[in-house]
Amino acid sequence: MEFKDNVPIYLQIKQYLYRQIIIGKLKPGEKIPSVRELAVKLTVNVNTVQRALQQMNAEGILYTKRGEGNFVTEDTTLLEQTKQNLINEELGKFVQSMNALGVADEQISSLLSEYLK
Amino acid sequence: MENVLEIKNLNYKKNQRTILSEINLSLKPGKIIALLGENGAGKTTLMRVIAGVAKNYRGLVNVSGEAKDFKRKAHLSFTESLNGFSGSLKIDQVINLYEHLYDDFDREQFEQLFKFMRLSKNQRLSQLSKGMREKLVIALTFSRKVDLYLLDEPFSGIDSMARKQIINSLIRWKDEKATVLISDHFVNEITAILDEVVVIKNKTILTHQSAEAIREKNESIEDFYESLYQMEEE
Repeated sequence: MEFKDNVPIYLQIKQYLYRQIIIGKLKPGEKIPSVRELAVKLTVNVNTVQRALQQMNAEGILYTKRGEGNFVTEDTTLLEQTKQNLINEELGKFVQSMNALGVADEQISSLLSEYLK
Repeated sequence: MENVLEIKNLNYKKNQRTILSEINLSLKPGKIIALLGENGAGKTTLMRVIAGVAKNYRGLVNVSGEAKDFKRKAHLSFTESLNGFSGSLKIDQVINLYEHLYDDFDREQFEQLFKFMRLSKNQRLSQLSKGMREKLVIALTFSRKVDLYLLDEPFSGIDSMARKQIINSLIRWKDEKATVLISDHFVNEITAILDEVVVIKNKTILTHQSAEAIREKNESIEDFYESLYQMEEE
């Protein structure tokens, strides 16, 4: 996996894991790979993975079982909310790049429905 | 927690020429740190001083609480490109020498690393390509159980496959509490695995920062490093 050079890696690791969870690669209640496995897979620092997982634990999207590792939450409301957050982020980026092309906010939805026809 | 490395007011001269001037540096346990600087900036000399190879410096150099040169050596692993070894030695013989020389040499870990690096034992040192030699250096260096590992430009002149193997072995085999200092004059190949960045310029340490803190300012480590070196040239 390629990371952007100018964005903190722990944020990008979180994004990667959110996506794995949303698309069902990691299922509710499933154990996620160990810190070192993730570090090797993503070619990043173990401490950076640790930081990402700690934050996701604090957010509740992951939970830790002592001695067993990290698991994906089974809280469907929280999972739905996480998905919504990701969607909003992507929409934000889309709107921003449309604006950059000179498309006003009011025009975006009509352009989009035209495109989707 | 106690620092793995503590350097205070280090000055080093060779043939009356100043090579290192007023170096101060503290490294914590469990970190991967890049020592960046142009060729001739003093990276290798700094490593040689830390390792106790370059002597007659002024100032304090402390590794895991030990200040005496010979005592420091027990707490750090530094393989100076196998310079002291004859090219006619077979890899097998080098391994045996290492096992003999160092009490903390972990044969099992070495075998795993060796296999991972796809090296073969029948070859002689002089037959190894630059990449293979560097991989052997890394395997030997990492097979000792110490607090501090010093890697001097492990990526110079090797292909991307060997580079990936070295980086992966670092992530895979580095002990949680061990600290690794990697020198390089070219940064973008290792940025994702770094905790911290130390930049050396004009014989002294210009800055020491957390890698993620640099990225928090939307700056890549490469740009950060280059901007430090450009300041003066402009």
